[in-house]
Amino acid sequence: MPKYSHQPCREFNVVVLGAGGVGKSCLTAQFVHNEWIESYDPTIEDSYRTQVSVDGRQVVLEILDTAGTEQFVAMRDLYMKSGQGFLLVFSISSKASFDELEGLRDDIIRIKDDEDIPIVIVGNKADLEDQRAVDRARAFSLSQRWKAPYYEASARTRTNVDEAFTHLCRQLLQREDGPDDGPAGPSRPDDPTSRRRRRRRRKEKCPIL
Amino acid sequence: MLNEKGMRSSLQVAPLSIHKTRSASSLAASADTVDSQITPPATPNEPQDNYVTSIANPVFHNFLRALYPFHPDYVASESTVTLPLSAGDIVLVHSIHTNGWADGTQLADGSRGWLPTNYCAAYNPEEMSCLLKALLNFWDLMRSTTLNDSEIFGNQEFMKGIIAGVRYLLERADCLTKESPLLQRNDRLRRSRKSLLSELTSLVKTSKRLQDAQRMPDNNDDDGINEMVDDMILKAFRIITKGVDFLDLLEEDRSMRLPTLTIVTTVPEETAIPPTPPADAVASLDPQQQCSAAAETRIAEHEHLSRPASFAPDNAAVGPEPRNDRLSAGYLQEGAETRRLSQNSLRQTNRLSSTISHRVSLAGIPSSARPHNLVSERLNTCHDVFLSHLGSFIGRLQLHAHSRPSLAVAVRQSATSGGDLLVVVDVVCAHSPIGIEAVEQARAAMYQQIRDLVSAARDVLNSAEPGMEDEAIVPHDNGRLLCAATGCVKATGESVAKTRLLIERIGDFEYDFGTGSLGILAEDFGLSDLGDVPEERPEHRRADLASIAESTVSETPTASTATSVTDSAETRSRSVSVDKPLPDLPRPDSPAVEERPQSPPDASSASAVSSVSSLRPDLPPLPKISTTSLPADDYDPAHPSATQEDAEYSSFRSETLTATSAGSARTYLSRDSESSLPSQTSTRATTPDATQAPKTQPSLSSLSSSQAPTEDDEIETKLLEKTYVHELVFNKEGQMTGGTLPALVERLTAHGSTPDALFVSTFYLTFRLFCTPVSLTEALIHRFDYVGDAPHVAAPVRLRTYNVFKGWLESHWRDESDREALPLIRDFAEHKLAAVLPGPGQRLLELADKVSVADGTLVPRLVSSMAKTAASVTLAPADAPLPSPSITRSQTNALTSWKNGGSPPSVLDFDPLEIARQLTLMQMTIFCSITPDELLGAKWTKDKTGTETPNVKAMSTFSTSLTNMVVETILQHDEVKKRAVAIKAWIKIANQCSLLHNYDALTAIVCALTAASIQRLKMTWDLVSVKRKEMLKSLEAIVHVSSNYKALRAHLHDRVPPCLPFVGMFLTDLTFVDIGNPATKTTSTGLTVINFDKHMRTAKCIAELLRFQIPYRLAEVQDLQDLLSAQMEQAQEKEKAVANAQAAQFRKSKMLEPGDVQLQQLRTPLDGPSGGMFSWMRSGNASNAPANQI
Repeated sequence: MPKYSHQPCREFNVVVLGAGGVGKSCLTAQFVHNEWIESYDPTIEDSYRTQVSVDGRQVVLEILDTAGTEQFVAMRDLYMKSGQGFLLVFSISSKASFDELEGLRDDIIRIKDDEDIPIVIVGNKADLEDQRAVDRARAFSLSQRWKAPYYEASARTRTNVDEAFTHLCRQLLQREDGPDDGPAGPSRPDDPTSRRRRRRRRKEKCPIL
Repeated sequence: MLNEKGMRSSLQVAPLSIHKTRSASSLAASADTVDSQITPPATPNEPQDNYVTSIANPVFHNFLRALYPFHPDYVASESTVTLPLSAGDIVLVHSIHTNGWADGTQLADGSRGWLPTNYCAAYNPEEMSCLLKALLNFWDLMRSTTLNDSEIFGNQEFMKGIIAGVRYLLERADCLTKESPLLQRNDRLRRSRKSLLSELTSLVKTSKRLQDAQRMPDNNDDDGINEMVDDMILKAFRIITKGVDFLDLLEEDRSMRLPTLTIVTTVPEETAIPPTPPADAVASLDPQQQCSAAAETRIAEHEHLSRPASFAPDNAAVGPEPRNDRLSAGYLQEGAETRRLSQNSLRQTNRLSSTISHRVSLAGIPSSARPHNLVSERLNTCHDVFLSHLGSFIGRLQLHAHSRPSLAVAVRQSATSGGDLLVVVDVVCAHSPIGIEAVEQARAAMYQQIRDLVSAARDVLNSAEPGMEDEAIVPHDNGRLLCAATGCVKATGESVAKTRLLIERIGDFEYDFGTGSLGILAEDFGLSDLGDVPEERPEHRRADLASIAESTVSETPTASTATSVTDSAETRSRSVSVDKPLPDLPRPDSPAVEERPQSPPDASSASAVSSVSSLRPDLPPLPKISTTSLPADDYDPAHPSATQEDAEYSSFRSETLTATSAGSARTYLSRDSESSLPSQTSTRATTPDATQAPKTQPSLSSLSSSQAPTEDDEIETKLLEKTYVHELVFNKEGQMTGGTLPALVERLTAHGSTPDALFVSTFYLTFRLFCTPVSLTEALIHRFDYVGDAPHVAAPVRLRTYNVFKGWLESHWRDESDREALPLIRDFAEHKLAAVLPGPGQRLLELADKVSVADGTLVPRLVSSMAKTAASVTLAPADAPLPSPSITRSQTNALTSWKNGGSPPSVLDFDPLEIARQLTLMQMTIFCSITPDELLGAKWTKDKTGTETPNVKAMSTFSTSLTNMVVETILQHDEVKKRAVAIKAWIKIANQCSLLHNYDALTAIVCALTAASIQRLKMTWDLVSVKRKEMLKSLEAIVHVSSNYKALRAHLHDRVPPCLPFVGMFLTDLTFVDIGNPATKTTSTGLTVINFDKHMRTAKCIAELLRFQIPYRLAEVQDLQDLLSAQMEQAQEKEKAVANAQAAQFRKSKMLEPGDVQLQQLRTPLDGPSGGMFSWMRSGNASNAPANQI
């Protein structure tokens, strides 16, 4: 029996973050929007839920993109808290947006209290090569430092959009499967050494119950 | 013998083999682009790669035209209903079965039945495109079950499209006026035009009668109305046939004028075919049916077929066909059908199934008596069955009432019915190569869930000790089963929803699922381990899954995906498509009878290979090119694979006409109003200038035509009205979703009915997003001008045009952007408008002068137009006393002393209710000043300085400062107890905010209390009572972002003001409406129109926000508000002082309670002395709260 058969609901919350104007919401819209659906209504419950297939496994992703609420600075904590994986987006045509990533990651680690939280870095607007302000080498070095994959994507041409999200899913799945270190014994919820494992267990909860 | 010159290209094609010119890579977005019609290869000799690319994107043809007569005269089974065709007949197609038979309605007489698609060609000449599209809209609207009749008939919207379609046809033919030289010259053309117009007149009259009938207050005569609707549909059909006649004559006329052309063709009118209601529409067509004797005289070579208008001489040669006895025997009186032709008697709300259901010509067969052959019905049924099994399973689990045997039975039932459902999903997937990825994924998830359920059940059963089989399941196991079962429900829901979407997309279709449960998948789910379920299907299913995986993984090239899907589809569907072969095309000398390749028993071989070559051996059976009977083995109900059928590969077989045309392909599917057939010759369907319509002086000959009945004249006048109605786009619910600017402006100034309020307010609010003020002005002036051609409506329309200007200048003027249109408006007012309507001209001129100097709008915008009226009614009466503030004497004194320079009292000393009230009053003041303009085009995200969107900015600033203040009033205390007191107080305040329905403040406070810097204060939280923590938890649930603010939306839905919604949610909605919907859309005729649907959505969001702009009736305590402002301001300044306020708070938090976190996340050292940072807060006297209250 495959080892994931006991985890019937593989569902992850993914948060998309990035400075304003980097087109992160375009990425989200591209990813969750079936292009053959005539009209996109973002006010319904499933607007940001989508299903992806990662290495033959089905994963439901709920994307949290707080586009439009960038000015509600204090809300970011709340948003980040609900994420299990993060897509950090900058625009290759904006150095400032790239520099903001560092702070975002610090916040994520602070809020999630987890150094290994799955992150994927996305350099958006890859179609605007002539306006590039962040060279690839820089981005890749950040990618190596954080051990987080880096994608250059374009929401406009739908390049690497699915790939970036899929890679994040893959990370989340790997983390969930994890090196199986035996059944997690009952541990005090606040024992920090068990925190990471606990987080993993929590995902096995069926989200609709 | 035929000259091909001058013929319409749409007739120059073999049946359903339309030439494809686009590359495969561009197919994805080409559904409604002109050149993308994709069909089977036109000739068998085409190279294979051409074949491959051509299958990727099927186009469903809404209309077919018979090329050959089809009058089956063999004795077929009683249950078969075929539709006799004469060459030249036009058929409206509802769905096309996998075997190439189409379910269609003959427009000549409205009869419905099955017809062989290989006898027909797609029909959509450019001249007719508007009319045909209008008929589809008309048909959809008439059949609509979601709208009530009065809504439909109240405005005569549905008529406009038909009239515009006729106008378009005549305009293209240069026959708009009676005086057209063409009509003068060709008498038959003139008569045809006249007959077309009188048909139109008759339809208009009926629709007016219907409107009147609807208006009668106590009209319960449903039958009468249904009759009228049926009558109208038939009339609309006749308009089409007359239009086709007219166009044929026109073609003839055109070709006659070519010197070399000598042939004269006629299209005999076939009007008197009695309806042939199928006795059973879903019954199989008899496989042995052969084409009629007429076929023998035909020579149907491919070259012949591809010739234009070849049906005409053929038809002349063939003559009338003997009628099939069976058909007339099966004929039932139309009168017996009391149900409306167009509407489902059950008034189903499921539009999809009602759209495609085969009700129309079914003479009184109750829908319940029909098997569920439509795939959508089958989907619904299977879903219901599956859910009911799961539901009872879950219900019993919760009652702990499962014994082991009953568990096994229940799981088996569930899994089996789930398997049935999967079969349906597969069928749908196999049906179409487009857009199936999402469905395949959902399907795989659902499959996995069912497996999980079965394996959970198996584990539970296997873990039982011997001899304990009858014991009840222990509760521990119950949990797992429950989780698995609910997982199934969820995954199934998604899978079904996606499948339904796909069906919507590709159209519904027939599929014979055989009888009873298909019972497959059993062994895949491991059901056999549960006991007595025999292994049913060893190999096939796995192969199937493999192919699904394959098609899911290979996402990149469209062609290859399509191919692999095709493979699996074919594997799954082979036997059904062999059941009912199409009749042979009439052809006496058949070169060869080609044996159909027998399907290999092992289906996996085909599904595993996605190469093109594998397609050939596995093609669905080819039609025989012979007139001999089909071999008996072509149809075998007991064919072993029939039970394995889990998919359907539906295709028009490429019925090319030579024996070597082995290539099968797919095209078409079922009708979707959006995917219609682009015309080959279509260009931008703009209405030519009015000048193009020749306006000759009345001649002598026109005097004779003036003897036409007056009603015809009325129609004539109507036709002369220039209109842009055909440039509007409607969805299936009859709502306008797009249009060109002239068309939208025409709608804005329609003369017949008052413009829809929502449309008008949306237009005013959003027009700057889709046109410039100058182009709007020009469009309005154009409207003012061209309506002059129709004198009888000119006056009201011109007045409306003036009113649009007036409303714009009075209430919606934005001087900075609109100023450039002012000279144009002035000029218009002064010259054109004043010349016709002097008074309004003068007033408009005055307005134009005023707006250029006025600050702000001249007349306040009508709030009622933004859906505010309902809310304001419920306001408390203005004279009701305000609730008195809950504030004590000493608190008032403390505030006064603070005002006089004393130390500020702690916010937390006040009654939580009063704090919540004052916060709410402060926020509501800002909220009420938000203007709709601030919310357009995601402006606030681009507005860094806050000058353009000051109030949106103020809302977010308030919210952020409130959060910061809350955090700091907690962190300012070094003592654990005092921090706990502060937390408790804020939970109470948050609760009061929630009771006041102030969700903005609630969000801000919850945000603070759940921030990392507060949440980590374990020692502090230990002192907060469980009750308070629970309260916080429930408050958090209200504003939680999960499932797209599901809980918050539920709270806001139908909430009666006063209420302060969380603005951030609206901002996100507006952003995504803006980003997720394209600015324009392309119609089936290749016209690019404004996506008005997007702007309607924007307006809807904004209206929902404005709905809450109604102040609370609460007493202001100015001093307390000042205190709150001052403290928030301080918090805000602090935020500005440090780069990252949250990080600073977190550092403070760590100092207070270092905790045992080993990770050292903080890179930067604490800035500033720790005590100093928060000292401002300490000056308060929060410490006098006794600790035992916590």
